[in-house]
Amino acid sequence: MPRIVRIGPYKPQLLEPERFELLVEDNKIIDVNIELGYVHRGIEDLFTKRTYMQNLALAERICGICSGVHTLCYAQTAEGIMNVEIPDRARYLRCIYMELERLHSHYLWFGVLAHTLHEHEVFLKVMTERERIQDLLEYLTGNRINYLINTIGGVRRDITPKKAKRILEVLKDMKNLSNYLLMLLDSDEAFVEKTREVGVLPRGIALDVGAVGPTLRGSGVKSDIRRDDPYAAYEELDFEVVTEDEGDALARTRVRARETLESIRIIEQALENLPEGEISVKPREPLEKEEIGRAEAPRGELIYYIRSNGTNIPERVKVRTPSFANNFALTEMLRGDIVQNARLIIESIDPCFACTDRITIIDVNTGRKRGLELM
Amino acid sequence: MAEKKIAIYRFMSAGCNGCDVQIFECLVPRYKLGDLGVEIVFTPEEANVLAVTGSINVKGAEELKMAYKKLKPPKIVVAVGNCATTKGIFSEGYPIVGPPDRIVPVNLYIPGCPPRPQAIVSAIAKALGVSLDKKEDYWGTPEGFRGKHEFDAEKCIGCGACAQVCSSDAIEIIDEDDKRLVKINYARCTFCGFCQDECPTQAIRLTKEYHLSTDNKKTAYVMNEVEMLRCRICGSYYVPSEQIRWAVERIMEKAAVYRDLRKELEDAMQICPECRRKIVNVENAKKLLTSLAIKTRVS
Repeated sequence: MPRIVRIGPYKPQLLEPERFELLVEDNKIIDVNIELGYVHRGIEDLFTKRTYMQNLALAERICGICSGVHTLCYAQTAEGIMNVEIPDRARYLRCIYMELERLHSHYLWFGVLAHTLHEHEVFLKVMTERERIQDLLEYLTGNRINYLINTIGGVRRDITPKKAKRILEVLKDMKNLSNYLLMLLDSDEAFVEKTREVGVLPRGIALDVGAVGPTLRGSGVKSDIRRDDPYAAYEELDFEVVTEDEGDALARTRVRARETLESIRIIEQALENLPEGEISVKPREPLEKEEIGRAEAPRGELIYYIRSNGTNIPERVKVRTPSFANNFALTEMLRGDIVQNARLIIESIDPCFACTDRITIIDVNTGRKRGLELM
Repeated sequence: MAEKKIAIYRFMSAGCNGCDVQIFECLVPRYKLGDLGVEIVFTPEEANVLAVTGSINVKGAEELKMAYKKLKPPKIVVAVGNCATTKGIFSEGYPIVGPPDRIVPVNLYIPGCPPRPQAIVSAIAKALGVSLDKKEDYWGTPEGFRGKHEFDAEKCIGCGACAQVCSSDAIEIIDEDDKRLVKINYARCTFCGFCQDECPTQAIRLTKEYHLSTDNKKTAYVMNEVEMLRCRICGSYYVPSEQIRWAVERIMEKAAVYRDLRKELEDAMQICPECRRKIVNVENAKKLLTSLAIKTRVS
């Protein structure tokens, strides 16, 4: 007789609330239902009540971890609406800021994973080292998270030679941290044993359910918006799209750990080849058109759609966040695995429910809810 | 070591999780949360302090009530971040039923978007009456940090440009007869710095101040007062006098040829728009304004 195991919304140590209903038989998960809505804020509605510039702050607050890439993707799309070309220096600066964000996001995720696996030493080490990135971002942009560094037409703050020197200093330490993490994943029994063959997502299924980002790359698919549809200055920078073939939690972990090294390489190159010139141009009047923008967030492909009616308030903004796409893959991963692994598997896609929670429809008057049914 | 044992349970609904990450980061030894005898627990039953983040939506409200009920005494609720204090940027969101103090009693607010871990730890220390290490490398903020606002009362002309560009409606312009109040509710602010960028007279500055915790969120604002000008004809207050002075200066700067008509211009601008429409006999001023209009159109 199958029983229902509920995880969440607030019970497990998930960083964010979400309810998982697992249908379990003989300790095996046979089906999953994900219920969202605890972080729903009606952001897409709010987008249509503010000006393009004010919306930058709102886009950023879709997610407090990958906040920068939301402003980047939104700004890119809005630049399409306004027919604005950003200066070369701004393109390179955007790469630097966004890769710094990827670093702090991946390290945070590693910290959470170590926390989940009760590896307290590793957790403290990663989080302590990660503080250096946070300090650096605060020094460069003026805030630890929600830095609002990208604006329509460029970036808001420049990187002076003094700042560049500080970035390189921090990156040197981060390289050591990344190598330490990779070493853990190669030789540390605790990590390898607990994550190997957990939550396997075969290549074919990963493609079928439309997984994105490290979740997809962990299943051996070479897909990365930075390479497939280059934006900012990624076309001029040399980096490898990291993939692992196994498709289990270990592979996804390895992908993220190796990606941090690639991010460090990108920042170093961008700093070396940083063109001179302006860091932003003035936004123009919005044209009457629609536009789609894509970017590679730390968790995968992020899509923005904006429809403009020519006024300075967008008519419609639609956001497709990576965690939303990966939720479907999560269902596949959970199915067939044992229930004790459920939390680890959920963590392994690095879910960001703040991003995803814009899809539950709640009628405030009648209290009727329509969630995302994944049964 | 503090004597009291504090166990914090984290609760989030309808936020961006930035504040959650900050609370999570407080676990790093650098922030010395452990020194205060504070730990973060994972069920409300074990906790005596509830740290709420986010502006709480219809779905989260019930869960919040439940979590509060399970809390051990003394049942302290701390609202972390601007969403939890005033709903912040999500105020007009249709599923939002918060802020949390509408659902459960809140004892302490920690404004910020997000508050730095230092701000969270120091707020807890303050509430406990414990003093913390005051070393600069721990508390210091870098150059260009975006914290609490500061007005330069000398420079502010009360034009309201800041309120226009504010990304979260945190700036209010309140006209009270002979004075105009420019009020920045920093507990609703996103600290984006648009007001600082757009202020025509550089009167707003975001300072390095970030210890903003308070038990009365109504006091979480900075305000500047400017004098209003009375219309020379009808006597109603219609514009801050500094703004007119500033506008005249700008016109003189841009169109120096009209320098000798300064007096007339000043006179004309001291008449409210309604009355200005009614007048026909301020010849010089009318001439001046028309020629200015032509000049701007040409350039």
